[in-house]
Amino acid sequence: MIRPITLFGLAMISWPAFAQTQTQLPHPLPLLEPTDAAVSGQDPDLEPASNASPRSIRPPEPADWPTYGRTNAATRYSPLDSINRDNVGQLARAWVYRTGDMPPESVDGKWAPENTPLKIGTSLYLCTPRNIMISLDAATGRERWRYDPNVTIDSIPYSASCRGVAFHEQPDAPEDALCKRRVIEGTLDARLIAVDADTGQLCPNFGDNGQVDLLQGMGESVPGFVAVTSPPTIVRDIAVLGHQVLDGQKEDAPSGVIRGYDVVTGDLAWAWDMGRPGETGLPTGDEVYTRGTPNSWTISAGDEELGLVYVPMGNSSVDYWGGNRRDFENRYSTALVALDVTSGQVRWSFQTVHKDLWDYDLGSQPTLAEFPTDNGQTTPAVILPTKQGEIFVLDRATGEPLTEVVERPVPSSELPDETAAPTQPYSVGMPSLAKPDLTGRDMWGLTPLDQLWCRIQFHRASYKGRYTPPSVERPFIQYPGYNGGNDWGSGSLDPERGIFIANYNNIPMYDQLIPREEANKRGMVPVDQPGGTTDSGGGVPQAGAPYAVSIKPWRNGFTGMPCTRPPFGGIMAIDINSREVLWDVPLGSARANGPFGIPSRMPITIGTPNNGGSVITAGGLIFIAAATDNQIRAMDIETGEVLWEDALPAGGQANPMTFEAEGRQYVVINAGGHHFMETPIGDYIMAYSLPTLGDTESTRSLED
Amino acid sequence: MTISGSSNGFGYWLLKGFAAIVALFGLAMALGGIWLITLGGSWYYLIAGAGMLLAGTLLFMLRMSGVWLYWLVFVGTVIWAIWEVGLAPWELMPRIVALAVMALLTLACIPVLRRHSREARS
Repeated sequence: MIRPITLFGLAMISWPAFAQTQTQLPHPLPLLEPTDAAVSGQDPDLEPASNASPRSIRPPEPADWPTYGRTNAATRYSPLDSINRDNVGQLARAWVYRTGDMPPESVDGKWAPENTPLKIGTSLYLCTPRNIMISLDAATGRERWRYDPNVTIDSIPYSASCRGVAFHEQPDAPEDALCKRRVIEGTLDARLIAVDADTGQLCPNFGDNGQVDLLQGMGESVPGFVAVTSPPTIVRDIAVLGHQVLDGQKEDAPSGVIRGYDVVTGDLAWAWDMGRPGETGLPTGDEVYTRGTPNSWTISAGDEELGLVYVPMGNSSVDYWGGNRRDFENRYSTALVALDVTSGQVRWSFQTVHKDLWDYDLGSQPTLAEFPTDNGQTTPAVILPTKQGEIFVLDRATGEPLTEVVERPVPSSELPDETAAPTQPYSVGMPSLAKPDLTGRDMWGLTPLDQLWCRIQFHRASYKGRYTPPSVERPFIQYPGYNGGNDWGSGSLDPERGIFIANYNNIPMYDQLIPREEANKRGMVPVDQPGGTTDSGGGVPQAGAPYAVSIKPWRNGFTGMPCTRPPFGGIMAIDINSREVLWDVPLGSARANGPFGIPSRMPITIGTPNNGGSVITAGGLIFIAAATDNQIRAMDIETGEVLWEDALPAGGQANPMTFEAEGRQYVVINAGGHHFMETPIGDYIMAYSLPTLGDTESTRSLED
Repeated sequence: MTISGSSNGFGYWLLKGFAAIVALFGLAMALGGIWLITLGGSWYYLIAGAGMLLAGTLLFMLRMSGVWLYWLVFVGTVIWAIWEVGLAPWELMPRIVALAVMALLTLACIPVLRRHSREARS
């Protein structure tokens, strides 16, 4: 009942928001085409004309996919329905494009493209692992232009990823003006780059001839330490940008400062540096943005109406020891922070892990919703899935939980120099993606012998349920693992049916702190010292802390198989009206996985680890790849039944997207593989559509 | 065929090899099982491992009782597995599949064992 009202409501709300935007813009642009003034009967000098409204405020064209999560609300919901449950079985490859950005051998263990193209008008816009921006003809996959920022391989952090670009249009710029429509990306080597969307030329009036140096004010850093892997979120013409800081290196890591840039000029509008409250400018003199602070490497959501951007924060440096964390870190680490996009001030924050000692940083982009509350009304809400599998629902304006959250006691740390938080928040008012705590029975293997070995490991480790604090004498089990629960693939929301979809991992970690002396013996040094590396899995130095740490997904060292029983990943549908699970099924088959790294070829659903998220369409379908069996699937949103699937030429660890071009609906996924998911890497952009008459010569370049 | 013709033929050595595998598998399970018990874990692995060690030894000595004992361990294992994880196929797999394969192989041992006992009597 409420859904149509919701959509209509959003459209209505955009009006006052727009008026506000105009007055708050640092560089108001002249209204060149006041044609709508007559229609609205208003004086253009007093009230802005409707068609001058920034594009991002209007609901996007149904045929388009203009931001990473389709809109800044990040619902990943498309109103297109020409592909639907009745005909999806006929879905076939329409075109395949290869970006050509494949790694040299030295870094093929770092490839994880994770890209989701945007579609605006007749073009797709995407970026490659080394940040080459590319525009394609949406209907044919033919390349229109590319811009290569020449990112060097030493800039690659843990992974070479470019989850997406951002698009911005200045409706009031002349139609033929360069960069009236622009594509913006952050790069692995810490630049913010804007190019013209039609030609790929650098925007000369943006920053320094099209580029902004993101290392300004950061202080000491080395290539690979500070990198941008996610697109900026543009709200009220401010591009809000976080960055990743390489995990596990040292206490004195570069700052996690969040910055807002004028999307037209590239000027720094504000910086939110939690260690310098009240100061929003570039640090002066010898000052730098506060080091070691939590960062945001994933994608923020944005609310034009409230003028807020919802920034999912990561953890302080270092991840697995918190003995010296400062008050502001303990307040904002692993919290969702609502920033005023005009001033950069914190409006509210909500912490999902108190004193995070497990790298449970927020990886998911939050989703904005009109959330049904108990009194039959709806409230503007933000839905936030976490790596622990909790799903928090917060009031978008205040950050207050809209569904019940309780603080539960958790185990205390036995280390003399560590204090774990006494309680942690559990979102009991919503279903959880997490499975129950582990017992010896949950150990798995091929035979009783390897299963027995995992059982022995289970009982040798410290494990007191979720939030077992790090230990040095014995290994400790971290469950859920640092890859989720839910990660950057995020959730998706069908606002018409009121269904929230989230996929999740179910693999524990087997970790252990390493005393500094032992770490020194092993030569564990941070990335900025000789011998340091950009690896952030396995053993990491945590320099400056009393302990290094060994972190790894828990597998049997002999067979390579997970030590715990399947499913290793799944996907869940939640009715946001009843807040109940509609269905919850394993995601992914055993075909590409097996003992000793040998593919089993068994097309049996087991539920594999997964990275990447889902898309929902009005056709009643969910599209998702993500699983390590390299399949892309269409599922019935009401039952979870797989209605269609196709084997990708490389791992599908990316969020798919859908659009319409020349009257035809396409589903696109980047088959790029993922080193951490151990799937084959590739440079494919795969487009699927329903075959039509005269399609016999379709561009199936894979078979060429 | 020569396999069936002589008590020291191919079948005989296959049986000896298989019996050794069962015994060693059981030994590893029993030793790991003792470790698991000291850590506070399940007693199943020690009990089943000891049973398999003994069954393998009996088979090696060409005793029919090895087959019976193995099947006792296997049936006990199935009951234990269902008690522990219910009928979840993926979770029954490590608990049952390898032992079931060995159970079928013990049946294949029966002709050799019978022949041996006949030869021993005559």
